[in-house]
Amino acid sequence: MLFLGSLFYVSVLLINAIAVLSEDRFLARINLSSTTYDPSFGSGDATSVKAKIINLIASVRTLMRIPLIIVNTLIIVYELVLG
Amino acid sequence: MHRSSFAPPPAHSPPLHHPVPQHVSTVPMMRSPPPPAPQQPQSASYGNPYQPAPAQGGSGTYAPGFGGFINDPTAQMGFQVGKTAMMAGQEYVEQNFNRYVSISALKHYFNVSNSYVLSKLALVLFPWRHKPWSRQQTRLTSTSTGPDGQISQQQYSLMFLPPRDDLNSPDMYIPVMALVTYILLSAMLAGFRGEFHPELLGSITTTAIAVIVFEIICLKLAMYILSINNDSQLLDLVAYSGYKFVGIIVTLVASEVLTPGRGTGGWVGWTMFAYTFLANAFFLLRSLKYVLLPDSTSDASMRAGSMHTVARSQRNRRTQFLFLYAYIIQFIFMWVLSREGPSGLASKTGGAASL
Repeated sequence: MLFLGSLFYVSVLLINAIAVLSEDRFLARINLSSTTYDPSFGSGDATSVKAKIINLIASVRTLMRIPLIIVNTLIIVYELVLG
Repeated sequence: MHRSSFAPPPAHSPPLHHPVPQHVSTVPMMRSPPPPAPQQPQSASYGNPYQPAPAQGGSGTYAPGFGGFINDPTAQMGFQVGKTAMMAGQEYVEQNFNRYVSISALKHYFNVSNSYVLSKLALVLFPWRHKPWSRQQTRLTSTSTGPDGQISQQQYSLMFLPPRDDLNSPDMYIPVMALVTYILLSAMLAGFRGEFHPELLGSITTTAIAVIVFEIICLKLAMYILSINNDSQLLDLVAYSGYKFVGIIVTLVASEVLTPGRGTGGWVGWTMFAYTFLANAFFLLRSLKYVLLPDSTSDASMRAGSMHTVARSQRNRRTQFLFLYAYIIQFIFMWVLSREGPSGLASKTGGAASL
């Protein structure tokens, strides 16, 4: 269980890392924001790698926000009490 | 038996026996034997949640024995309700289980024969001369002929042949068996070196499973980013990621037999590892081709001509990913797993000794 537990930690931390990316300060600057993403003519394909990554980041940021709050709180409490 | 154990008991029975004759006088046939009276409070405590009336009836017919109890209509109804509830629950579980892992699909993966297993093992270990890598499909024509003999409806559904009939089809039998063998073999090799702990089994298992899970996540993410939509592939991917255990097992056994006690760190171990890694990578490269590069020719022809270049660049990217996956990711994981055996612990203890 120890190893799977750390695997779980790693995945939670990675999702955290995606979720804390700031939309207008960071993502917009490197053209990965979904609001400012403006596909240029000819390459505006919904299946391009960049569009996919943008979509993934945006959906993780919107979808995982509240579950992440809960999971992070639980992990913090667990680490404080038993860690 | 039960009655004899029930009737004599403590001091309750004499006072409770007294009412019984009175009842007998009023209801002669129903309550002839004494025991029902001591049963009464018990059955009432059971029956109260329902209604008093069935409890009465139940206690009355309880006397002849359990057969009477089972024949009781209310009990029958209870049984029926319980049965249907359990059936519904089972169905529910099955449905929810089927959503993630369908039983019939799993059965398809375990439909293997002896000759298939042998030739597949040979193929995993020596994939260089194998020629047709594509899976065979059968056109399942489910024709429903009308009563007048003419075909009223014809449905074509492409079905992959089960592993029994098709050597190129992925199966789950070899990966599962290889995984179990790998776990036991690693524990046994640790036992030869006198380093066996019971926890070793658990840690090896979690490492192996975590490797598989990680690989699946990598593949799924790549399939999302490269927009490869090919459904019902998850079990295929699990199966393909399990084939590497065959190579690892061969490496571990060969290095243990040829250079006993040295682990996979010696030149024998490294040679075997290099060979099995290359064979496994080649095998994956060939057989994952149809997963990651699904018929791009028909794709391209289906799309308009202007999209042709996009499709081509995408195909290039997919090919690069396939190469990356088959050679680099597999190398890392196979190294991790075969290091798990003798050499890792040996070097660890060696390092501890030198420290």
